[in-house]
Amino acid sequence: MKFRQIVGLLLLASFAFTQYSCTVASSKGEFFGSTTPPARNIFRYVNGDEPESVDPQISNAQPEARLAMALFEGLVEYHPKSMAPIPALAERWDINDDSSEFTFHLRRNGRWSNGDPIDANDFVYSFRRALTKETASRNANLPMYIKYAQPFYEQQVFVRDPQTGQFLLAKDFDDKLPPMPLSGSPIDPSKSEYTPTAEEAKPDPDTAFHQLMHSPLRLTLPGGEKARTKLLDKNAKLKAAIAGKELVTVKGEDIGVEAIDNYTLRISLVQQAPFFLGLLAHQVFRIVPRKIVEKYGHLWTQPENIVTCGPFKIKTWVPYDKLVMERDPMYWDAANVKLDELQFYPINDQTTAMNLYKVGELEAVQNRGVPNPWLHVLKAKKDYMDAAEGAIDYLIMNTTKPPLNNVNVRKAFNLGIDKKAWAEFRRIIKPLTAFTPEGIFPGYPQPKGPEFNPAEGRRLLGEAGYPVTQNSDGSFSCPKFPVDQVEYFYNTQGSNKLQAEWMQAQWKQNLGITVPLRNMEWKTFLDSKAKLDYKGFARSGWGADFMDPFTFLSVFYTGGESGTGWTDHKYIEMLDEANRTLDTKKRYELLAKAEDYMLKQQPIIPIASTAVNWMKKPYVKGMYPNPGSLFPWKFVYIERDQAKWDFGTPSLAD
Amino acid sequence: MLRFIVRRLLVTIPTILVVITITWALIKLAPGNFYSGEKPLPPAIEQTIREKYGLDKPWYQQYGKTMWGILRHLDFGMSLRFEGQSVNSIIKRSLPVSAAVGILAYLLALVVGITAGSIAALKQNSKWDYGSMALAMVGISVPNFVLGPILVIIFSLWLYWFPPSRWDGFPSRSVVLPALTLSAVYIAYIARLTRAGMLEVLRSDYIRTARAKGLSEKDVVIRHALRGGLMPVVSFTGPALAFLITGTVVVERIFALPGLGNYFIQASLNRDEPLIIGIVAFIALTLLTMNLLVDIAYAYLDPRVRYQ
Repeated sequence: MKFRQIVGLLLLASFAFTQYSCTVASSKGEFFGSTTPPARNIFRYVNGDEPESVDPQISNAQPEARLAMALFEGLVEYHPKSMAPIPALAERWDINDDSSEFTFHLRRNGRWSNGDPIDANDFVYSFRRALTKETASRNANLPMYIKYAQPFYEQQVFVRDPQTGQFLLAKDFDDKLPPMPLSGSPIDPSKSEYTPTAEEAKPDPDTAFHQLMHSPLRLTLPGGEKARTKLLDKNAKLKAAIAGKELVTVKGEDIGVEAIDNYTLRISLVQQAPFFLGLLAHQVFRIVPRKIVEKYGHLWTQPENIVTCGPFKIKTWVPYDKLVMERDPMYWDAANVKLDELQFYPINDQTTAMNLYKVGELEAVQNRGVPNPWLHVLKAKKDYMDAAEGAIDYLIMNTTKPPLNNVNVRKAFNLGIDKKAWAEFRRIIKPLTAFTPEGIFPGYPQPKGPEFNPAEGRRLLGEAGYPVTQNSDGSFSCPKFPVDQVEYFYNTQGSNKLQAEWMQAQWKQNLGITVPLRNMEWKTFLDSKAKLDYKGFARSGWGADFMDPFTFLSVFYTGGESGTGWTDHKYIEMLDEANRTLDTKKRYELLAKAEDYMLKQQPIIPIASTAVNWMKKPYVKGMYPNPGSLFPWKFVYIERDQAKWDFGTPSLAD
Repeated sequence: MLRFIVRRLLVTIPTILVVITITWALIKLAPGNFYSGEKPLPPAIEQTIREKYGLDKPWYQQYGKTMWGILRHLDFGMSLRFEGQSVNSIIKRSLPVSAAVGILAYLLALVVGITAGSIAALKQNSKWDYGSMALAMVGISVPNFVLGPILVIIFSLWLYWFPPSRWDGFPSRSVVLPALTLSAVYIAYIARLTRAGMLEVLRSDYIRTARAKGLSEKDVVIRHALRGGLMPVVSFTGPALAFLITGTVVVERIFALPGLGNYFIQASLNRDEPLIIGIVAFIALTLLTMNLLVDIAYAYLDPRVRYQ
């Protein structure tokens, strides 16, 4: 029985496989499958996972970001090619001289899908909501650049003298406080805060709130009794100063977001953040309708309740089946929205999605959507999107445990991988020696890590006390290396196993060390990584949240997030210094210096810059393989004139 | 008989509560969280999320809250992963999809399986017998994740008869391929069980008696042999129907159907505790009900079976 079962299975599997290769290979045309445009102006797209929620402030994954871009708008939107911020609900903006205060001038014809006008108060409400505990946004760390946002989120308290009404100031109790940005320094009446622009010579009105933001930073203490007592017990000076004072909880009204008038919004940051404007296109900064949210609570996103403000609105939503959106006539730019309908299918299985694409039931598949074994045929097709992604593959190492707590050992393992060969084998990725992806941030002087150099790797291992010897057959062995102390961890999915085996073979071949492999289910894997509950190496990936190298470099900014146990004060200071630098070129140089410093400490092994790897029908225009695979849907349209179709990957250059 | 049914129904309730408790404990023991992703959350944000969903409370409080909701209101709570969707509404919405495909596959399996099995038994050792049993062997051996894509290649990508995946409601052409894929293995099992059962019955004394009484061959087969020969089929198809109705993970995934099975696997992968518990409880209930129906059918089909 068993034997027969196996034989039957093998026979049929081989049959299936040959048939598959035949279907793939037999599509001899320039394009993969049908190229008949849909009868109506609809766009059908496989969007990956079923969305957690269409509430733009809740989730942090890519599929939800794409939905948010159709349904909600913020101050700025991503450019369809470069992903740089372009005007959305804000028509124009002024940035102060050190990128710490931003004033946005909103368009006056913004409307919600129920016809209500959009004004600056909607932004004030939405930003505060993103930072409240009840929302439990996965992205609450992004608005933390706003002044007092962090104390508000963590429900901290100000300290006020009941007699004078004065608040205690942070600078009196913290001598390591960095210098305040312009947004937090007294306004110099003799000179304008903003360099005047052609459109606007007159500065925006000063207000009491504005003055407050510019007054010295207030001291904040933990809101919880326990944490506060613990802190005060350690600091006698602080404890004495607190005595007899009243504690005032930081409220939403205290954070640095102000509606100067109905169509002017001012955001004050707690630090200089030259990347902040680009960050504002992120879904967490898109606005939600106060009346509806307050009326329906967590049910506000249900199709029968929801009110939106983007180019499209929800028509029907059957979870795990499809989410259909139609053009919103209330949208301020509705005349320029070209599609009548968007349909999102939550399909995770690559083959299922590609089948639908082939028979012409989809206009495009999601990024990373083309199965690996199909690439050799599909990569040559004219509807394959061949472009770099703003993401990287890398390995993290547990730097807290021997033998990888030795930087030379970490370096040796990095030198022992031929990344070029791996990239060639995988066809679509590029070898990477740094921590930022290659060719994504124009003008960024990306540092170069060391190239493949097994001899140097073996030398370093010897220096660390694990001499590598060459056997008579030319292979290497490293008998002293504690192989039982390291493992290569990965989650069971896609090509991770392939990558693990490849890396294992490389180390065996070049360093004479066989690292055991260990695979785990996804969530278990994440848990182990987060708790540093692994030994040796673990597979990792990172994608850009915004178009700035800092989105990668900040992985090691707080330490806990990197999963390596590596934190370095000097590195953090270098990043801070860079972000205080206003000249973009200079700032990039400083960031690159910090990246170089981090690479030399080698808490990670860079593997590859990834590729977007998706397909779209040639008649789909206005959709570009940008590095984040985020598409401003209002620019997308169906082109019926074959002469204007896209043949090959459309250029990202303007 | 009635007393038997009532007693069985009464046992059902504690059984399901035990199932729920074990499921709950297993989820608690599994590492990982519904909110974890490739990008780890900053500790303050993680803390906020845990507070919002009551995950910071001691385990007995969490358990008590879950059980209270179920016992008091038959309410399994809100999905953790899918903001604003209750478990009850998810089951209500996805069950019809799974059930439509499942019942269709079940009927197909019964008709084709019993016919093929009966023919094989009546014409034992003929080419009919060998042919249908060989096909049944193929049906059992080929897993549905192989059969599904093969059907898709033939009927969708070559012939363009049926859509390769996705759900278009019932009835529609999108039901055909999933139902076929799903039924194959059941057709095979039922055919084999029918054949075996029939062969045994055809050799028994009461069939000889029936023939000796001069009944026509048709009467012998349909009124006597089939009724006895189907006993093994009945005990197989009861639980089988339960699993077919509550969704089969693989087929729903291949064809991207918004059914219960799809939710079940995703809920487990997402650590969506209330949703897992809700679906497990529902499957357990369906299974127990089907078993009860099987026992009742036994009594009807075989006069020798009596329940005390």
